[in-house]
Amino acid sequence: MTTPLLQPGLNLLARLGAFGIFSGQLIWRTFTPPWNIREVSRQILRVSLRCTGPVLSTTFPFGMVITLQGLQIFDLFGAQRMLPSLITTAVVREISPLLASVLIAAQGGSSYAAELGAMRIKEELDATEVMAVDGLRWHVLPRVLALIVACPALQILGATAGIAGGYVMAVWLQGEPSGTFIANLWNFTSPLDLAAGVVKTTVFGGLIGLIACYHGFYATGGAAGVGRAVNDTVVHSVLTVFVCNYLLSSMFI
Amino acid sequence: MITLIRAIGQFGLFFGSLVGAMLRYGVPLRRITEESYRIGIQSLPVLLTINIFIGSILTIQGYISFGPLGARHLIGMFVALAGVREAAPLLAATMIAAKAGTEMASQIAVMNTREQIDALEVMAVNPYAFLVGPRLLGILLVMPALTTLAILTTVASGWAVATFQLGLDGQQFLALVAQTVTGRDLLISECKALGFGTLICLVSTWCGFRAPRGPEGVGQATNAAVVISSILCVSLNFLITQVFYG
Repeated sequence: MTTPLLQPGLNLLARLGAFGIFSGQLIWRTFTPPWNIREVSRQILRVSLRCTGPVLSTTFPFGMVITLQGLQIFDLFGAQRMLPSLITTAVVREISPLLASVLIAAQGGSSYAAELGAMRIKEELDATEVMAVDGLRWHVLPRVLALIVACPALQILGATAGIAGGYVMAVWLQGEPSGTFIANLWNFTSPLDLAAGVVKTTVFGGLIGLIACYHGFYATGGAAGVGRAVNDTVVHSVLTVFVCNYLLSSMFI
Repeated sequence: MITLIRAIGQFGLFFGSLVGAMLRYGVPLRRITEESYRIGIQSLPVLLTINIFIGSILTIQGYISFGPLGARHLIGMFVALAGVREAAPLLAATMIAAKAGTEMASQIAVMNTREQIDALEVMAVNPYAFLVGPRLLGILLVMPALTTLAILTTVASGWAVATFQLGLDGQQFLALVAQTVTGRDLLISECKALGFGTLICLVSTWCGFRAPRGPEGVGQATNAAVVISSILCVSLNFLITQVFYG
């Protein structure tokens, strides 16, 4: 006997538990043979190619925007030459990991949910299970591992594009001296910052992959169910990325 | 490349016939309130959660970046400029694209799969005016309100992190925010919100209409809707910033 007030909370707990079991099963399969290396590399290639365009086409304009706004603040202090160093730290530490992960969740994660959801609805996953093929090992695990590898790589690409956007805005459009910009680029950025970005995006990639595959793998309810799976994937993974980003950033202060 | 140009052309045709249909057949007014209620209320919890974390991230990042300049007490200004002008409106729009936009795309794609859109046409109801019109006007109604809430949440969480986590002077933070943000900044952010809302609604419904039938089609439409609308929102944000602040 549960009260109606308690029911949503209990449902949430039940789904969290199901997600935990799903993740546990995947982690177990990561460390036990047989490994499906060819499928993993195929998925890495596919997801990187799919996400490169969206990641680059958001980080580049965003780099330009923060440079434009930053120039106005630093004009007040007459400290324009500090700007490139601050842009680099902001891009490398926060903006590129966050934007890249949001776009990877929107493009890579939701395409996983769409593919797996469609396979589930068309009973292809049931068919492979009947043939004694482990669906988690052959369909889900390569996708999750691919995101874990691709996410940091795409983040580095995104950071490069963001800094390039800053250069284009500051030097070509606003006429700051190019030499000063380049010379001050790495003043405040340490290898630790780069490592922090890579660690963050590795975690985000794993979480996005798990959430996307969970929603896709357990999709129910026909064509509308696939749409719901994709919708839930994007919302939940972006929320998770932001919460984890706050926790990880507080750790790296 | 040719596919891209063709898609742009198709989008233009879609937009043209949408405007034509809305002018000619009118928009069912009762459904506007329904849609705006749904878009607004459903996106609100996600939006506020995201903006709480944006505010705190901006504050922490400002704390780190301004440290070497010895200007930690100026974080309020940084949060006000970066949050109110850029981050809050843009990321709010991304979240609305992820929540409301994907839902529009999948609803319309599912209706298409089930041949409900054909049924509408058979009953002489124009699907553009009936399905897209109320969604467009509804999202335009709620976007400024959602963005205002997003901005308020961002500043409030920035204040909370500055005061309680970083141990800075909260009074000074709020005073700097109030000093830095002008009415013009808020107005531009609301204009951005209206632009983002229009883009999200048009792109998502267009993706829904052109999706192939069947479960894969629904998945692809939903996927394409969120990706295309977030990319376009970032580009539009750059354009508006360049025009008004450049």
